[in-house]
Amino acid sequence: MKIEDTDQQEKIEEYPDAWWYRVYFAVIITTIVVIAALGYFSYYFSN
Amino acid sequence: MYLLDWIIVAAYLVYVIWDGIKRTKGSENIEGFFLANRSLPWWAVGLSVMATQMSAITLVGTTGQAYSDGMRFLQFYYGLPLAMVILCVTVVPFFYRANVFTAYEYLEKRFDAKTRSLTSFFFLLSRGLGVGVIIAAPAVILSIILGWSEIITIFVIGLTTTVYTMFGGVQAVTWTDVKQMVLIIIGLGVCLFIILSNFPADVSLSDGLFLAGASGKLTTIETSFDLTEKYTIWSGTIAALFLFLAYFGCDQSQVQRFLTAKSVSQGRTSLLMSAFLKIPMQFFILLIGIFVFIFYQFQAPPMIFNEVEANKAIKANSVQYSQLEEKYKQIHTTRSEAAVEFVRAKKQSDEIQLAKAKEDYLKANQNFNDTRKEATEFVKTTNKNKSFTDVNYVFPTFVLAQMPMGIIGLIIAAIFAAAMSSISSELNALATATTLDFYRRHFKKNGTDADYVKFGRIATFAWGIFACIVAIYATNLGSLIEVVNKFGSFFYGSLLGVFVLAIVVKRARARGAFFGLLFGIASVWIASNYTNIEFLWFNVVGCLVTVSVGYLISLTVKEDKQ
Repeated sequence: MKIEDTDQQEKIEEYPDAWWYRVYFAVIITTIVVIAALGYFSYYFSN
Repeated sequence: MYLLDWIIVAAYLVYVIWDGIKRTKGSENIEGFFLANRSLPWWAVGLSVMATQMSAITLVGTTGQAYSDGMRFLQFYYGLPLAMVILCVTVVPFFYRANVFTAYEYLEKRFDAKTRSLTSFFFLLSRGLGVGVIIAAPAVILSIILGWSEIITIFVIGLTTTVYTMFGGVQAVTWTDVKQMVLIIIGLGVCLFIILSNFPADVSLSDGLFLAGASGKLTTIETSFDLTEKYTIWSGTIAALFLFLAYFGCDQSQVQRFLTAKSVSQGRTSLLMSAFLKIPMQFFILLIGIFVFIFYQFQAPPMIFNEVEANKAIKANSVQYSQLEEKYKQIHTTRSEAAVEFVRAKKQSDEIQLAKAKEDYLKANQNFNDTRKEATEFVKTTNKNKSFTDVNYVFPTFVLAQMPMGIIGLIIAAIFAAAMSSISSELNALATATTLDFYRRHFKKNGTDADYVKFGRIATFAWGIFACIVAIYATNLGSLIEVVNKFGSFFYGSLLGVFVLAIVVKRARARGAFFGLLFGIASVWIASNYTNIEFLWFNVVGCLVTVSVGYLISLTVKEDKQ
């Protein structure tokens, strides 16, 4: 049982760099969209 | 506070201490006590990262800041997602694969022991002081609610957190952080809902937001490039980017979070969780302050939210205080009428009427602000308290006065949770750096795991006491959230500079990093004393000077010791 647990721990998946670059791109795009939405929110209720 | 509120707060405190202490089991060895055997899932680490960053100051200070200054503070977080991406690419794999316990340990592998000790020392100095401020914020609230002295309140909060951190180590810190974060989210959600339901019947959410917008409270993007302006999109995306890179990448209290993750991927995911959630979450916290502002358009707020200081001023000069209060009430009534008129005009869509109503409202609001400022100045001079500020008292006073039974207890427990989640991570990190960067490195190189865990527990206790003492002096330092960021900005840029030299600049050498750091901190000191640059930009100054000086000095060093 202990050996199985150890094996499971060792098999932790590491995603490839290409996958991470897509995630980073998604983070940046989401941030830009969120900031733009906040800017619109501010503009809409201030005018 | 009602009996039910007391029961909720007491139940929370008892549970969190019990939950923390029961984690002692997995913390007998050094890897378990300081890194949870690198076994934690990404979501637990991610919530812990967020809980560590969101202290009680975030709840109390930010809501108060939104009430008085609007949402401009939100811009401070715009650089955070990019900072997280940069850290995921750079330090997360570097630190994780280097198999280090502290961020500064990596610097010894890259440079030398001297650089490791110096950076760790500056971390201990800045965070030791910073954690004191983090304790001070909830102590300010509780001292009002419980009628205790601030000193007693500080020691109750500080020592409670110290106890479970001391016994349970990083496991206790992380798992209590997870539960505390859930409690904070529930508390905030309930708070938001109740304020909304307390709006007058004929004032909708959008009516309220139009009022806040008209008075300039909803500004989320300020484009002026002015280094003396505190919160602009530039200070948020450039200067704060440096601060976040330093805080999440070089501050042991955060680095230790992702070092406990199961793998590099899980460490990265835990940081990206903040990248996605931090701005929306901060928006909702600020929105609470805005809602409090809208609420007080229709109900008279206290002239001075800090009851203790208000009573002192009344004792000293009750005649003038009463006159001011009378004037304040009249002006509030005028503003309230103008607000109702503005909302009505908005609904009727008559442009001319709306423009006039808006002008009247803005004028009434300006008069109201001027009178409040006059009252604040009066309290300052009467009580001879130059550093008096009302910002941190807005939210707690509102909660006590307006929230129903049970909800007060829930929100107070959430403020406790926010405070304790940050304090515990900081104490754990301070103890880790003290034990591993100094005790094990310089004084007891061949000790057993039991020696280091025992010393780690003693260090946690000692830092807990030190932080409480600092907190006693920190309660009157102005807006507490800014105080913490200012503390950080003084050292963070230069610490970041050393890590940039270590990871990015291949030609960098130990001597360059060491003296670069000293020059960086000196440059921030000069900038803070001889310029009007806002504190966020100190991070940029410190980092650039450290990297430049470090690089130039490295060029003069011939040996290639890496």
